[in-house]
Amino acid sequence: MPESTPLARASDVPSGTTRRVEHDGEALLVCNVGGAFYAIEDQCTHDGGELDQGELDGCRIMCPRHGAYFDVTTGAALTLPAIMPVRTYPLRIEGDEIFLA
Amino acid sequence: MKAGTVAPAGPDLDQDYRHGFHDSEDAYRFKSAKGLNREIVERISSMKNEPEWMLNFRLKAYETFRSKPMPEWGDKALLEEINFDDIHYFVKAGDRAEISWDDVPADIKKTFDRLGIPEAERKFLSGVSAQYESEVVYHSVREDLAKDGVIFCDMDTALREHPEIVEKYLATVIPVADNKFAALNSSVWSGGSFVYVPPGVEVKSPLQAYFRINTENMGQFERTLIIADKGSKVHYIEGCTAPQFSTASLHSAVVELIAMEGSSIRYTTIQNWYRNIFNLVTKRAVAHKNATVEWVDGNIGSRLTMKYPAIYLMGEGARGEILSMAFAGEGQHQDAGAKVIHAAPHTTSVVTNKSVSAHGGKTTYRGLVEIFPGAVGAKTRVKCDALIMDERSSSDTKPTMKIDEQKATVEHEASVSKIGEEQLFYAMSRGLSEADATAMIVNGFFDFFVKELPMEYAVELNRLVKMEMEGSVG
Repeated sequence: MPESTPLARASDVPSGTTRRVEHDGEALLVCNVGGAFYAIEDQCTHDGGELDQGELDGCRIMCPRHGAYFDVTTGAALTLPAIMPVRTYPLRIEGDEIFLA
Repeated sequence: MKAGTVAPAGPDLDQDYRHGFHDSEDAYRFKSAKGLNREIVERISSMKNEPEWMLNFRLKAYETFRSKPMPEWGDKALLEEINFDDIHYFVKAGDRAEISWDDVPADIKKTFDRLGIPEAERKFLSGVSAQYESEVVYHSVREDLAKDGVIFCDMDTALREHPEIVEKYLATVIPVADNKFAALNSSVWSGGSFVYVPPGVEVKSPLQAYFRINTENMGQFERTLIIADKGSKVHYIEGCTAPQFSTASLHSAVVELIAMEGSSIRYTTIQNWYRNIFNLVTKRAVAHKNATVEWVDGNIGSRLTMKYPAIYLMGEGARGEILSMAFAGEGQHQDAGAKVIHAAPHTTSVVTNKSVSAHGGKTTYRGLVEIFPGAVGAKTRVKCDALIMDERSSSDTKPTMKIDEQKATVEHEASVSKIGEEQLFYAMSRGLSEADATAMIVNGFFDFFVKELPMEYAVELNRLVKMEMEGSVG
């Protein structure tokens, strides 16, 4: 069944920025990469750091705790010390609203 | 500053530290004012004529260093003694790295002659790099290796002559934001070694780098990057010393090793910094499919060492070995250890750590073994032994094991002991003095490590351990 509550408003997440949202008790990070939206879990797979504190650089986000980079479009860990990918969530955009697909 | 302004660092610390001499700094080319700010970072970069991406790398790292807190673990009391505003971050003694020993400035040459470096080169090394303060002052590599495409140079030269390799691999193993000291190194790094071994090339005798701090309150921040391409093999050795000063200096290196498929890297360190150096170093290696990485890590000197050589076993069949020894005497804390991450199937690792604490010294073994889900058939064996020589000395063992794969084999053993009365009695009943008997037993305890060293280093290490033990009894 499609989700009925939006995760965030697209206008609240300008290009090149991220926004942490709570969903079902889980923290997700909505990322705007040049107008395209992606969502990943807001937790570094290396040491549990919160990725929303990191800087989004293109499609890469850095965990500020130990500097690991992830690709927010695929979840892949790009540099050590992270090895495992972060979970990704498919999204659906309706007007200004972002939903989990 | 004049030569010979050596103040004693405290009772007993100076005895027998034969590397404790200090040279004149009159002919130095540049010495930054104490403390760190953006201007100093920019100055270092411009003095080295670096490309813009490196300046940006440094400046970003500087901001990261500023924003990161000090470690919340380890010897916090000692760490608090570091005054970042009381350090010279860049000290340039000469103009360039000389390729002929005769061209090295006389003062510096004398230093390295006293340390036995050129002699060692003649005897058994493939290449030598000598770093004095912030920069490399002498460098040579055997011609046949250069013809095979082996690159061995200081990092500053590598950035000028091989920028594409440096940019591709730098900070990929240890990101700038890994920890506060890695960020500090990234912002003010200078010198260090760059090694690239082409596919299939075996460097048969070791490459060596020697690091020397000569200035009081100085920070040495070398950056080393070693890349062994497919099927190649290399052994790199480094040694470190500093003069006796009454105030502390900081040594904070970053060392990244990349062992590509089927290659092999051995990295040997004998750290004998003078006993007021803070030695806070990040060392990490990546081993790809069927590659081997070995850290051979000896810690004798420094006031506080925090160093945990790590190996990330990323490809199937990769192998890692970490052999480390630590000796902590009066006023010293050797907080050393090892980290091995098994992230692929059929990876194997062995960690062997032995430490001795005496005269009130403290040793800590801090280790991590992590086996990721899917690393089937991974095998690891960790052994750490601590020997405590007297009532005033102490030792902590803090091993962590995170095993997320059922089909893996994990062995761990640890022991803490005092020197055996019976062993001593036996040795003394054969005519040895108590001091000689103790030294012999301690040297035997470190034998696993010493036998992995080239002969010249093995002899020196045995001598150092014997010297450390003298005065501990009787």
